[in-house]
Amino acid sequence: MEERKYGVYICQGCGIAEAVKIEGLEKVARKGGKIPHIKNHPILCSPEGLEFIKTDIAAEGINGLVICACSPRVKYEEFDFPGCLIERVNIRELVAWTQEPQAEETQLLAEDYVVMGCAKIKKADIPEGVPVEIERAILVIGGGVTGLTAALEAANLGQQVVLVEKEAELGGLGAGLFQQTPRKYPYQELEVPVVFNKIKEVLTNPKIKVLTKSEVVLIDGQPGLYDVTIKTDGKEDIYKIGAVILAAGAKPYDATKLGHLGYGKSDDVVTNWELEKIAADGKILRPSNGKPAQKVVFIQCAGSVDPDHLPYCSAFCCGTSLKQAKYVRTMNPDSLAYIIYKNMRTLGQNELFYKHAQNDPGILLTKGDVTGVEVADDGSLAVIAENTLLGDKIKLEADLVVLATGLVPATVEGPVLNLNYRQGPGLPDLELFQGFADSNFICFQYETRRTGVYAAGAVRQPMDMATAMEDAAGAALKAYQCLEHTAKGIAVHPRAWDQTFPDPFMQRCTACKRCTEECPFGAIEEDEKGTPFYKINRCRRCGTCMGACPERIVSFKDFSVDIIGSMIKAMDVPEEGTRIVAFVCENDAYPAIDAAALNRLKLHPAVRFISVRCLGSFNLVWIADALSRGIDGILIMGCKYGDDYQCHFAKGSELANYRMGKLQETLDRLALESERAQFMEVAINDFDKLPKLIDDFVVRVEEIGPNPYKEF
Amino acid sequence: MADETVIKSDLEFVKRLQEYGGESLKKCYQCATCSVVCNISPDDKPYPRKEMLMAQWGLKDQIVKDPDIWACHYCGDCTTYCPRGANPGEVLGAMRQACIEHYSFPSMLARMVSQPKFLPVLLAIPVLVILFVMKLTGTLGNIPAGTIKYSNMLPLLAVDAIFVAAAGFAVFVFVNGVRRYWKDLNADISPWKAKLSNKSVVSATIDVLKEFIVHKRFKECVTNYARSTSHLLLVLGFIALAIVTAWSAYYEWASKFGLIPHKESPFSITEPIKWVALVGTFLLLYGIYLIYQQRQAKANGAGFGGYFDWLLIWVIVAVGVTGAMSWILRLANLASLAYPMYFLHLVSVFFLFFYAPYTKMAHLVYRTTALVFAKMQGRE
Repeated sequence: MEERKYGVYICQGCGIAEAVKIEGLEKVARKGGKIPHIKNHPILCSPEGLEFIKTDIAAEGINGLVICACSPRVKYEEFDFPGCLIERVNIRELVAWTQEPQAEETQLLAEDYVVMGCAKIKKADIPEGVPVEIERAILVIGGGVTGLTAALEAANLGQQVVLVEKEAELGGLGAGLFQQTPRKYPYQELEVPVVFNKIKEVLTNPKIKVLTKSEVVLIDGQPGLYDVTIKTDGKEDIYKIGAVILAAGAKPYDATKLGHLGYGKSDDVVTNWELEKIAADGKILRPSNGKPAQKVVFIQCAGSVDPDHLPYCSAFCCGTSLKQAKYVRTMNPDSLAYIIYKNMRTLGQNELFYKHAQNDPGILLTKGDVTGVEVADDGSLAVIAENTLLGDKIKLEADLVVLATGLVPATVEGPVLNLNYRQGPGLPDLELFQGFADSNFICFQYETRRTGVYAAGAVRQPMDMATAMEDAAGAALKAYQCLEHTAKGIAVHPRAWDQTFPDPFMQRCTACKRCTEECPFGAIEEDEKGTPFYKINRCRRCGTCMGACPERIVSFKDFSVDIIGSMIKAMDVPEEGTRIVAFVCENDAYPAIDAAALNRLKLHPAVRFISVRCLGSFNLVWIADALSRGIDGILIMGCKYGDDYQCHFAKGSELANYRMGKLQETLDRLALESERAQFMEVAINDFDKLPKLIDDFVVRVEEIGPNPYKEF
Repeated sequence: MADETVIKSDLEFVKRLQEYGGESLKKCYQCATCSVVCNISPDDKPYPRKEMLMAQWGLKDQIVKDPDIWACHYCGDCTTYCPRGANPGEVLGAMRQACIEHYSFPSMLARMVSQPKFLPVLLAIPVLVILFVMKLTGTLGNIPAGTIKYSNMLPLLAVDAIFVAAAGFAVFVFVNGVRRYWKDLNADISPWKAKLSNKSVVSATIDVLKEFIVHKRFKECVTNYARSTSHLLLVLGFIALAIVTAWSAYYEWASKFGLIPHKESPFSITEPIKWVALVGTFLLLYGIYLIYQQRQAKANGAGFGGYFDWLLIWVIVAVGVTGAMSWILRLANLASLAYPMYFLHLVSVFFLFFYAPYTKMAHLVYRTTALVFAKMQGRE
């Protein structure tokens, strides 16, 4: 560890000086924190304040700064001094804005935070990323509109692209269309399917290598360093790849399962995909007898939003049926096109197209539940619908019935990616999204749980082509980001600034494999002897391995079991009065606390918040550390988990809760009440509920009574 | 499955409703804001949302016999609040026009009334009829000079003959239309099947007329609340003028049979009948002026109405203005202007009477019928 000279800088601004006695903080920094160099300033983040620090750094050779001011979530650009280790102590949000000014408890709280910060910085070090030589080619799986767009976008970013298509021709579902819903204002004119132009562009782009009749057999390695085996016409080749865009798309739902809607019972009941082919001939004719169809009934959600079929909405079908109703009306102005929908859903600007189509007197729309399609002996069709807006049960005579069928993602049938991962060849937890390769990282839709693999288009979510193209562009940028960050040796996302990496002390590893099991991103593999090792480019630095490890051997430069343990030890635990430690997830719970502070809500002064990367990094030993110090209660605050989890690292909060269950058995055995430690789900927008949740916990802990270990 | 309604969409009918002022009807996306904001729509199967859908789907058979289109008083609250600019109020107006057209015989005449291009033809009929009768009575181009007396231009008997015939025709068409309408209303397929009340036709009619005379429903309008007054003034004007007509007919015919001494028109300003006539004319003109003004003012929010609405407004204006002017010009003794003005007055009154079954005037009859039916059904 580099020789450090530490300095504590205390800000008086934003109400800090009004809430606490600065000289008290200085005293504890000196005594408890054991850092003699202490300065304060009226407004530390002001140009004068920053200059004040810089001058001090230069004059005194300070290279470890404990900045006691605002939340680390703000002013991080101001408080960035190259070559210096920075520790931010949040005495604004956590103290000045949420506590009774000048109260004794408030002062004690602020002093605790200062010494905890001092303790932390002494154990931390400046992280440095390790640059690596990487492959920069991007593999795009799927040659439909998404894959083509992604390939072009990636090529435009200067990357080499390998485009793999299973079929003999590029184009996917989009190539089967007669016309496409409008994509530009005023969203009225149908367009030539955009996919044909894209095929031309891709085939003539020198940066894109197109492999048709090809499949990905194996993706081995890690971001920046993949060896991808691709089988073309039975022959296997290995390609060096940096990142992967999964654009394998979707298939139409199998209409033979829709017998109740007449499919298979009459040739005049067709799917929306089949109608495209009919329309391509220029006339809407009945397949049964070749006569013009005067009355065409479109049944929306045919096999969609239906627990017996596809439980979800496929998003594109409403726009498509409106488009096809326009085919019908344009090709035969005397005809009528009926659309029976559950909910008319036209994404984005397609609302304007909906209005336009609706304005046609011959396009007739109603909400309704189609209960059946009757085929009479003479071949005539009748659609029966209930719950329509027309009130009664209705019967619609039809010459042609069109079933608006939805999409089934390619990832339902197989893993597609064929990853060489200990955790399996496909993307994990697809069942959460009915097989779609979706991301539940709310803000990062293209990110899958396999770093370096970005899903886009209909394989990710059911969507129309306009959305798929935007998606493709987004995924291409994410793939590019992955290459850039990997090359610099820093985390790809979501901790995109992070230069740290897990650094295990392997001599003590027992090869228990808990880390390899629990890593949400499959970053840890095992060698032949079963010893785990990191494929570091897959790692997102959440620290789940650090939380998992019973031997506590995993550390980051600025975040380790020891660092947090030292902070707990630094706290002052008086014999009288309650002390609670709350470990909070930096992604949701900590921002929620900041938001509570912004709203000047009062938080209980007995609670000390310690920010952790993810609850997955929460190591149980900290509970023992805290309880043995006489701390009365422990809160673990993380994101919501379950089906619609909000965890940035997918599993952290769930794992923490699971580990807590194990712990409570142990606590019970030690005659310590298990209620002293509680897990709490806090969403970022729960800030208003936070004070009460915390107060309630404090009350419960006080009911249990003081921690018996206090006296030792 | 006997309870299902077989849908018969009529594309031409959709287009006709659009032509009749409902051009925005396709914009409706059935959110039901209209039914919610309407103060006079009932809670059970409220209008106008279902009517909007029926219009979009061209369900002519259902629309023309839907009594709810007449329960609507064209307040315009729905139009004001429609998020999609579908103007339900205007669409219901178009439906009422379609209903009138459907039940009035001959339908060709009704179609002509609906279309501006036929207006000259419609005007030519009364002009020719009156000229022809003047020819018969020998007054054409042969009006004696001296004190202006409108019976010099057209003898009272001839006036009565023309207008009794015109009114008789109108009544015949109305009776025929209402008979068919009533039958359809009572046919099994009604857009709503409310519980039956025990009201008889007579007591239901009395209830409806009571509501009419105080404009009870009109007063529940929000956007167009002021119209409850202007329309009432207009109605009172009509009633006053009807009384005057009956009164002068009584003078004429009762004296003919020797029941009372003969009293020749024009009546003196001291006569009570003249007072009623002047009050009636004033109410009529003031009422129609207010309606005109309010429509202009609310055109952007509550709807402006179509040709069908404005035709009636202008006919009423013509009747009132030519009537008042005939009186003024006679007093001013300007024969060369007074007689042509009286001629125009006769033409406009003929227009009002003769075409009543086809113009918006027919709302008087169909609305009453529909509301009596609704009352009997207990639909409030």
